Amino acid sequence: MAMKFKAWLKTITFYEILVGMKATLKHLLHYRPITLQYPHEKRTLPDSYRGMLALLRYDDGTEKCVGCDLCEAACPSRVIRVISSEVPGEPTKRYAKEYYMDMTRCLFCGLCVDACPVDALGMTREYEWAVYDKRQLLLSKPQLLAIGDRSFPVREKRLELQHPNVAFFNVAFKFMPPKES
Amino acid sequence: MLREKYKDEIEQILSRYPVRRSALLPLLWLAQTEEEYVTEAAMKEIAGILRITPPQVYEVVTFYTMFNLRPVGKFHIQVCKSLMCGLVGSDVLLGWLQARLGISPGQTTPDRLFTLSTVECLASCGTGPMMQINDEYYERVTEERVDRILADLKRDGTSPLKSGPFILPQLAGSEK
Amino acid sequence: MATTTTETVRLTIDGVPVTVPKGTLVIEAARQMGVMIPHFCYHPKLKPDANCRMCLVEIERMPKLQTSCSTPVAEGMVVHTATTVVNEAHKSVLEFILANHPLDCPVCDQGGRCDLQDFSHEYTPTTSRFLEVKRVFPKEYFSALIETQMNRCVQCLRCVRYCDEVMDVKALAPSGRGTMTEIKHFTTHQLDCEFCGGCVQICPVGAITSRLDLYEFRPWMLKRADTVCTYCGDGCHITIQTKGNDLIEVNSAHGAGRNNGDLCARGFFGYHATTHPDRLQSPLLRRNGELVPATWEEALEFVAETCIALKLKHGPDAFAGLIASRCTNEDLYVFQKFMRLVIGTNRIDGSARYGHINGVRALRRVQGTHRWTVAFEDIVGAEVLLLVGTNITETNPITGLKVKEAVKKYNATLLTIEALVPAIGTISNIANLSAHHFSVHPERFGNVVLGLIKAVVEGGLVAQTLTQRAPAYVEAISQTLRAIPWETLESVTGATSQALMEAARAFVAARRAVVLVGQGVLRTPGGFGVATNLLDLLLLTGKHDRPGCGLAPLAEENNDQGAVEMGALAEFLPGPSDLDDRAARERLAGLWKEELPQRPGATLMQILGDARAGNVKALFVVGENPIGSLPRAAQAKEALERLELLVCQELFLTDTARLAHVVLPACSYAEKDGTFTNTEGHVQAVRHAIDPIGESRPDWEILSALSVLMGYPIEYGDAKEILKEIRNLIPGYGLLGPAPATPRSDEAVVERYLREGYAEDVGARYQLTGAGSFDMAQPATSSAESDRRDAGKVKDGLQLTLVVGQTLFHSGKLSTRAKGLMEVQNAGSLGLNPSDADRIGVTDGDRVRLVNQAGEMTTSVRRLDRVPEGMAVFPEHFDEEARRLLTVSVDPVTQVPYCKSAKVRIERL
Repeated sequence: MAMKFKAWLKTITFYEILVGMKATLKHLLHYRPITLQYPHEKRTLPDSYRGMLALLRYDDGTEKCVGCDLCEAACPSRVIRVISSEVPGEPTKRYAKEYYMDMTRCLFCGLCVDACPVDALGMTREYEWAVYDKRQLLLSKPQLLAIGDRSFPVREKRLELQHPNVAFFNVAFKFMPPKES
Repeated sequence: MLREKYKDEIEQILSRYPVRRSALLPLLWLAQTEEEYVTEAAMKEIAGILRITPPQVYEVVTFYTMFNLRPVGKFHIQVCKSLMCGLVGSDVLLGWLQARLGISPGQTTPDRLFTLSTVECLASCGTGPMMQINDEYYERVTEERVDRILADLKRDGTSPLKSGPFILPQLAGSEK
Repeated sequence: MATTTTETVRLTIDGVPVTVPKGTLVIEAARQMGVMIPHFCYHPKLKPDANCRMCLVEIERMPKLQTSCSTPVAEGMVVHTATTVVNEAHKSVLEFILANHPLDCPVCDQGGRCDLQDFSHEYTPTTSRFLEVKRVFPKEYFSALIETQMNRCVQCLRCVRYCDEVMDVKALAPSGRGTMTEIKHFTTHQLDCEFCGGCVQICPVGAITSRLDLYEFRPWMLKRADTVCTYCGDGCHITIQTKGNDLIEVNSAHGAGRNNGDLCARGFFGYHATTHPDRLQSPLLRRNGELVPATWEEALEFVAETCIALKLKHGPDAFAGLIASRCTNEDLYVFQKFMRLVIGTNRIDGSARYGHINGVRALRRVQGTHRWTVAFEDIVGAEVLLLVGTNITETNPITGLKVKEAVKKYNATLLTIEALVPAIGTISNIANLSAHHFSVHPERFGNVVLGLIKAVVEGGLVAQTLTQRAPAYVEAISQTLRAIPWETLESVTGATSQALMEAARAFVAARRAVVLVGQGVLRTPGGFGVATNLLDLLLLTGKHDRPGCGLAPLAEENNDQGAVEMGALAEFLPGPSDLDDRAARERLAGLWKEELPQRPGATLMQILGDARAGNVKALFVVGENPIGSLPRAAQAKEALERLELLVCQELFLTDTARLAHVVLPACSYAEKDGTFTNTEGHVQAVRHAIDPIGESRPDWEILSALSVLMGYPIEYGDAKEILKEIRNLIPGYGLLGPAPATPRSDEAVVERYLREGYAEDVGARYQLTGAGSFDMAQPATSSAESDRRDAGKVKDGLQLTLVVGQTLFHSGKLSTRAKGLMEVQNAGSLGLNPSDADRIGVTDGDRVRLVNQAGEMTTSVRRLDRVPEGMAVFPEHFDEEARRLLTVSVDPVTQVPYCKSAKVRIERL
């Protein structure tokens, strides 16, 4: 009997509807806008935000990239094109002579950043890259380095022999110690 | 040129071996005694005599520490760096020598008296650490003994601390 | 080779029983059943060295792990390749290697196809117990083409052993000992060797890499095209690897093609020739005396209109055609069909005329074949090899490798008749391996052959069967040879009769004997006669019909043999059959549905002569460059200048193309499909690796388009359709698979030759040869001898024989566009014996002047031990000036222009 009464009460007071609109009604009372007035206000982005890609430098201003093409291999949508070569005047040192990113295709998956053996790629928190001409999104090496410069002001220190017991990595041989005998 | 100067010796050495290139080591030794080290020209000439290529001669010269590829000082100090001597402190010996002479292995003192080098086992494992200076053995070398040896050598050109003399059958009657 | 039945051994590998031939190594047995045992130092081409310790396996009843690369199988052996113990061993070996190997895979060109990388992924733990600093070698400049990174070296010594065992160059040496072993040349000198690229190919890690494509690629980016090298007659299989439309590198997999993965400098480093910036991009048409770019339509319409007008005015025989043997069989076939049907003339010739035709004509005459009756396998399996007039290691390096393999691996006896003398140098020299070497003046190779035949005839070594079969033939030869006394022979060859007798005995005693004859004979006067005499030698010793025996004329250009078979020569129809062979003509006419022209063909020199006389009005030149190939004395330029129409289909603007009225850009071998026939007669597929450069088109397509415009369409959809037609046309051609059966000599032809064929010139062939003017009383080295006598008065120079020939690093003029090869050799220098050089007082790099009545040239000197006294060698690839000195004589039978040597006076500048 009591059950029947309860059900009847719920029906006449539209209880289910109130339950369903609980959140709405709550916001109706405690009104606080959550839409950002975008160009005027900006969101705080999480640390791991995956935005525009950038090429990084060491603290002495040299490029980190060694032109190994692994980012190109890792990229699922063929954004990256690396043309690597020997550094002029520094025998056996490899670098990216040219480096292109076609950002129109980029998925921001971050696989290239993971693939990079020298941490030369970084994902910035830049996302305001709307352009009138798509061709402006084909970024070259100087552009990518510039993005890196403005987004990562603190640079990693360059080590000549990065891990003495593991490898010296892409160091031109003119820096090598002389032979023993 | 060796060929003109040591015509008979070369003939004699070549006649000892059924295969021509076996004469490589004796000929290199001849070249080294002539010039105190094995010169590039000598390597090329020996290659010509034995009908092998210069890289093949070079390969042998670099393998054996007894052959020098550059001029050495009056006293060539060769420190054994093999396992047995290493266990009883050849690295200490080497460090002491480096400190005393001011040179690292492979170098010669500016007065061209001493050359320091590290070599493989000199077959005196029971009496390590040891070193060979020119053709003499110095065994159970300690830091004090090094100092005495160096002083002796500078003063007299020889040192009573050397071991031996060892009588090697083929050296007994021959030139050295 | 496979005459003996091989014993087999049964063993068990990983629980699976296998049966392999006795003597097989465990690693090979495992590979055959699909078990890959990791290894660095083992390579099937090399002797086992067992220094890397990577291939350890467990063998039951053996106390320790065994290296499977050096352990031969034994009956009942039980091998385990994947036990815990073996895996532990792999781990520790790799840990030791990685203790020093830098982890610079991302910047290493080998990364992605590196054995060490693969094995590390498979076998190692990810951490190392070694905390010491890695070994570091100071970087030294190695060479312009080959880069070494000794920090990456795993010291397997494969490169050193390859350089010694396979190439016989011995240019690499492991210097130092233990972990500080590094691969070097000689002290700090930069590498000076054959640059075969073998070390680059065989290095399991990235320690030795090619400098031509350093850092330009990663292996996974490359597209591959399996094709055939275009530089010499050996027909090596190459894999051209491209990125986009760029040629990145060339290599050849072990076991692939006739070369079994071995290449020479030209094949490995010469691939940039086809993408040289000078390549013609569009057709050129002569307007107001200048060649200006034009469209294909303009150019082709101009050619077609002029041709039709000239044909109406002067008839078809006012036309002629020349085609280079670098073209594919399809190009050659369409060319001769175009000339014969559209133009209606037989007046065509090709670059096989420069020498290869001598060998082919001799083979056809004596044994009725146009191909070798032997294959490369027979060279490797031969017991005796006779090399006549061939500096084989430079002209045909891969055939040379087969000879080296036969001598070094299977202990064959090598007889050589060559001008060069045995000497150790920076490149290999086949004379060093020779058991009986006859060093003679380049014009007298035939005399030593006569000496050998005389030794055979007079030493009672003539085969019994032949004496019974053709007594008159044997008698005729013996009689003519009896007229040449031993003393004279000895004096003109410089070889004693005993030496000749010994060589002849060795030759006769062998069950399998192969005679290789090269450019030294085929391109010098009397070449046809000497080639025939060598077949006489095979006949007399009863070897011509034995399996594994035969004469092998070496082709210089990659498709000389194809040019013969496609009938792109004055005397042949496709097949080849003779031009006047009625049956062949009818067969062709039936298939082509058109009568063939009746009038005779014309050879290169005849065409040039007729052009000079004004009888040839129009000339089609496909890839051929008579002005660049013939000496000035041949007056090719004067001839071509008189033409009313000269059409050149070319890659580059050559000397000949500069005179042309129309130049049509053609595709190189890297841009078209087709087939090449190598020197031993294997028809191999050529596949395009890149898109055509500019507007260039394949030669056959150009000719096909012309034929349409001239109202007689010869049209094909693609190169395969042409090959199909060729297969219909030539009986048996369709059966030629990748490994055709070598032809047998035609006994009817041999019979005819033995009966009467030999008689027509036996007297002329069995004559001592050599520069006409030589004094019989003088010893063989008379020129050198007289020089020595004149040594006191050298101020007016030294008399020498100049030989202009091929070098290892170039092939024709094409390779001079390859930047890699130009790094090794970028200018001609005169190779001179050191004692001759001393006589005129010059050392390496000094300038000298060469003078004779025809002209003079200046060049620099290079002292070479292998050049005999009294001779000077100059590379034909840089012979602009040298061509002034040469004279030209024409073979009376085969019409081959001989223009490779001259008498000169040399003086110091």
